[in-house]
Amino acid sequence: MKLRTVRAAVILGSLVALAVVGCATASKSPTIGTGDPVADRQRLMKNVGANWADIQNKVKAGAQDTVAVNAEALSLHAQRIPSLFPEGSLTDKSKAKPDIWQKWPEFQAAAKNLENRAATLRDQATAKDGAAVTATVGTFGRDACGACHTPFRVPPPQQQPAQPRS
Amino acid sequence: MGVLARRARHLAVLLLVSLVSLPALASAQAPSAAELARGKYIFGATGGCGCHTVPKQPVNAGGRRYDGPYGTVYSSNITPDRETGIGGWTDEQIITATRLGRRPNGERLIPVHPYTVFNGMSADDLKALVAFLRSVPPVKQAKQPKKISVPMFESVFLPAWLAAFAPRESPPTSAPTSGVARGEYLVRAVAHCGECHTPRTMTMATDNTRFLAGNPKGPEESEVPNITPDKTTGLQWSEEEIADYLGSGNKPDGDVAGGLMGEVIEGTLAGYKDLTKADRLAIAQYLKTILPIKNKIGK
Repeated sequence: MKLRTVRAAVILGSLVALAVVGCATASKSPTIGTGDPVADRQRLMKNVGANWADIQNKVKAGAQDTVAVNAEALSLHAQRIPSLFPEGSLTDKSKAKPDIWQKWPEFQAAAKNLENRAATLRDQATAKDGAAVTATVGTFGRDACGACHTPFRVPPPQQQPAQPRS
Repeated sequence: MGVLARRARHLAVLLLVSLVSLPALASAQAPSAAELARGKYIFGATGGCGCHTVPKQPVNAGGRRYDGPYGTVYSSNITPDRETGIGGWTDEQIITATRLGRRPNGERLIPVHPYTVFNGMSADDLKALVAFLRSVPPVKQAKQPKKISVPMFESVFLPAWLAAFAPRESPPTSAPTSGVARGEYLVRAVAHCGECHTPRTMTMATDNTRFLAGNPKGPEESEVPNITPDKTTGLQWSEEEIADYLGSGNKPDGDVAGGLMGEVIEGTLAGYKDLTKADRLAIAQYLKTILPIKNKIGK
C-alpha cells in the first residue's frame, strides 16, 4: 500500500514535470516560419506590400469599403515585425540597417505606428467612410511604411514594375 | 511768400515723399507671401535641403556628417541665426555660396553641397529660396570643424578638379514653366537627382555621359537604381507611376520608398511630395526622354 502510494506519487510527479518542461519548450520554439529571420521577414514584407498594392488598387477603383480585410492583415503583420528582427540578424540578403538595434525603441515604435495606422484604416473601411479611407491611404505610404523604411532600410537597387504578388 | 513759408512747404513735400516711399522700402525688405511660397516650393523641390537637417533635429541647423575620400565635413547651419547661421549674409552672398560654392570670406565650399548643379537654377527661383530660408526659425548651433585628410586638398586639388572634371549646369534666363523642359530643369538643377543616381568617374565627378544610369556605390552604402528608360536595367514605370511615386513614396509593386529617397520625398518643411502633379509629371516625361543606358545595379 505504501509502496503503491510512492509509485503513484513518482508517476504523477514525473507527469507534472514532463508537462512543465513540455510547456516551457513549446513556448520557446518558433510556432510560425522557417526559423531564418531574414527569410521570414522578407516573406512577411512581401505580403505587406501585396496587401498595400491591393488597397491602393481598390481605392483607385472606388471600392474603399473593401480594404478592411487588407488593413487588418497589415495590422496583424505589424505586430510580428519586431520579433522577426532578433539582434544581429543581418546577412548579405538583408536590407536592414544596423540602426534598428541601436535605436530599438524607435524601431518598435515604427512597427506600432504601422499597426495603429492600419487599424485606423480598417475601422474607417468597416464604418464605410470612403472619404476617410481615401485620405488615410493618401499619406499611408509615407507615414506608415516610409516612416520605418527611411531610417531603417537600405533601398533596393532596382525598381520593380507592377506585378501580382502573393 | 516768405522764406519760412517756402521752407515749410519744402518740408511738407519731403515728408510726403518719404511717407509715399516707405511702403516701397518695406516691401523691398519683407518678401511677399507669393515670393515666400515660391521659395518654399523650390526648397521642397530640392528635397527640403535635407542634408542641412539631422533627422528629427531642428530644421536647417546643419551638423550632418559626410565622409569622403578627402576627409569628413559637416553640413552648415543655414538658419537665419546671425552668429552661427546665414543671418548676417546678404542675399547676394547666400546666392554666391549656393551657385558658386564661395563663402563671403572667399573660402570654397566642399562640393558635397552640389553648387555645380544648383548653378543651373534660375535667378528668380534662387532669390525666392533665399527669402524662404530667411523665414525659417533661427537656431544657434555652431558648425563642427571639418577634418580634411588630403594635403593641399582645398588649395590645389579642389580648384583643379572643379576646373577640369566637374560638370557645371548653366542658369536659364528664366525657369521653364511646363513640359519636358520644366522636367529637365527640375531634375538637373533643382532636385539634383544626378548627385545620387548618376555614376561617378575615377575623379568622383558625376559621369554625365551616363546621366542617371545608377550608382553601385551611392551614399550610405546604397546601390542607387538606374532611372534611365533602358528596357532591361532601367526604370520601366509609366509616367503616371513615376509622378505618383514622387508624391506618395508608393511604388507600383506595393513597396514604399525609404533611405535617402524616402527623405527627399518627405523633405523637412517641404519635399518632393509637395511638388504639383504637373511638375511631377513633367519630371516623369523628361525621364522618358533621356538616353537609355544599360547598367545593371545590384545582383
